[in-house]
Amino acid sequence: MHRRDFLKFTGLASGTLALGGAAAAGYMSGTDKKGNTGWGRAPYAKDQFFNRKPFLVVSPTYEKVSTPQRIQYLDNLFRRNGELGFYIRSLGERGLEKVKEEGISSLPQELKAYYTDHPKAFEEFFLTSESAQQQRANWPEHKNRYLLTDAWSKAHASPLRGRDAFPPQPQGPPEEWDFEGVNPDPLKLKSPKHGAELIKKITHTFGATLVGVTAIKDEWVYQGILRGVGKTNFEKPAHWKNAIVFAIPHEWESFYANPTYGTSYEAYTMLRFIAGKLEAFIREIGFSSRSHVPPNSYDLIIPPLAIDAGLGEQGRHGVVITPELGANTRLAAVSTDMPLDADIPVDLGIMKFCNKCKICAEECPSGAISFDDKPTKVVRGYRRWCTDQDKCFKAWNQVATSSARGCRVCLAVCPYSRKNNWIHTFARELDPRDPTGAIASAMLAMQKQFFDYPGGSQYLPPPDGNNKTYGKAPDWLRTEEWFDF
Amino acid sequence: MFPYSTILQPLFWMSMGVLIALFFMGIKYWLADANIKMNGWKWSVLSGWFFFLALTVAAAFTLMGEGEWAAGKRFLLFFGIVLLLAGSGIWKLLKKA
Repeated sequence: MHRRDFLKFTGLASGTLALGGAAAAGYMSGTDKKGNTGWGRAPYAKDQFFNRKPFLVVSPTYEKVSTPQRIQYLDNLFRRNGELGFYIRSLGERGLEKVKEEGISSLPQELKAYYTDHPKAFEEFFLTSESAQQQRANWPEHKNRYLLTDAWSKAHASPLRGRDAFPPQPQGPPEEWDFEGVNPDPLKLKSPKHGAELIKKITHTFGATLVGVTAIKDEWVYQGILRGVGKTNFEKPAHWKNAIVFAIPHEWESFYANPTYGTSYEAYTMLRFIAGKLEAFIREIGFSSRSHVPPNSYDLIIPPLAIDAGLGEQGRHGVVITPELGANTRLAAVSTDMPLDADIPVDLGIMKFCNKCKICAEECPSGAISFDDKPTKVVRGYRRWCTDQDKCFKAWNQVATSSARGCRVCLAVCPYSRKNNWIHTFARELDPRDPTGAIASAMLAMQKQFFDYPGGSQYLPPPDGNNKTYGKAPDWLRTEEWFDF
Repeated sequence: MFPYSTILQPLFWMSMGVLIALFFMGIKYWLADANIKMNGWKWSVLSGWFFFLALTVAAAFTLMGEGEWAAGKRFLLFFGIVLLLAGSGIWKLLKKA
């Protein structure tokens, strides 16, 4: 062979090998666990890597259309269902049938007032009760297949239960509880800027992926019930000045395998530990503090606080979407009187993208997510996307889990919920900088044409569906990999 | 490629550099044998095409690595065809100009 031919074929072979190298490097980048954003470098704030500075805006992207109102506690599905469930149990064995027969007019005053305004929610409650019974009846059929994921979820839920749950539930009014154990001899803080910077660093060391600070607006405070006091109408306590809002993701592999292999509890537990430690830390340096944590220990609504704090924007599914974690963003907050410089909200074009996308609505097994082209509902003074909580909760009671553990399909299928690797970094960085929206449209077209989605009811058990998950479950949650059954 | 190895990772990228250098060295002779005279902009176009080809392959396999096999294959098929068509256009352009 001539030298020239040798060089020609070496070149060809090298080009082919280089393309093979690109394929291998790409594949490894896809499988790499480092792309599972959230916990790897959280203590050093390195997981909050997106530069928000070019996208800061004066007003948050949610639209205020009339005088804001505070959220009544019965507007919260879990409080409402808890209240109705408590009433039904108080009626004895046939309580459920009795309330169903007698209708809304038979309910205690507050529930009656709520369900008179929301009669569909009352109907959904009974449909959900039936689904829950069916779910329990179906469980023996599924329990071997989902043994590991059920055990994993229950293990994560265990620190949430009982009187020793951390952080402890407030006992007494905020003016007393939030100041318990506060250092009586605090040092003078140099400035609110120093305060915010310190608190963010500390919150990251406790494990938070994202941290932001915002002033607490009156409308983000629940009304009608106050933890530690009970049912009461109250003004926002004067010392609830600022909120430190923080976020972590769900574990990524189980998260992609929603609904049946995922659980909310692992993120809840982590958030509670972060919040409880932060609460203690703030008191130790001389300021009041109170945790607001999942699953239902809140006096504040957290998503709008996260939006105010510049962590992200509201998505079509009602969940805050952040540039780092997408919709895989679980939130908690600590309120305090510590002087802190507030962060500034951002406009990353997420709400505009959600106007076009609708993948979460198409995939929702319960049809709870709006298909409207733009947010249309006005809720307590704000025009926003509004998920039908009752329908959503019904799906929780349908999927093949041992109890209503959640669904989270809308979070997993969200195009923003992707790993942190080079290919998604392109999308993350380019889309918000494109004023024409062309990149968003191109990405959405690829998302819809290239990616497979099981489709709404397929996530449910037979006969409605086929127990599909969005992604493949990790081996460590697949019982068949480890046990004979 | 080897994200957790401090030895294999740099070795891999050095090898990639060598392979790409060899590719361009070889392609020079292919072009010369096809009577294509190259200049600055022609090399830029050719390099850009190869860069996008490598990027497409890497992107498709990244999706596959994430578990999105179907999306990776469709991505490769779609952009692969686009790049092949562009490649044949570029070849004609290099010959003509």
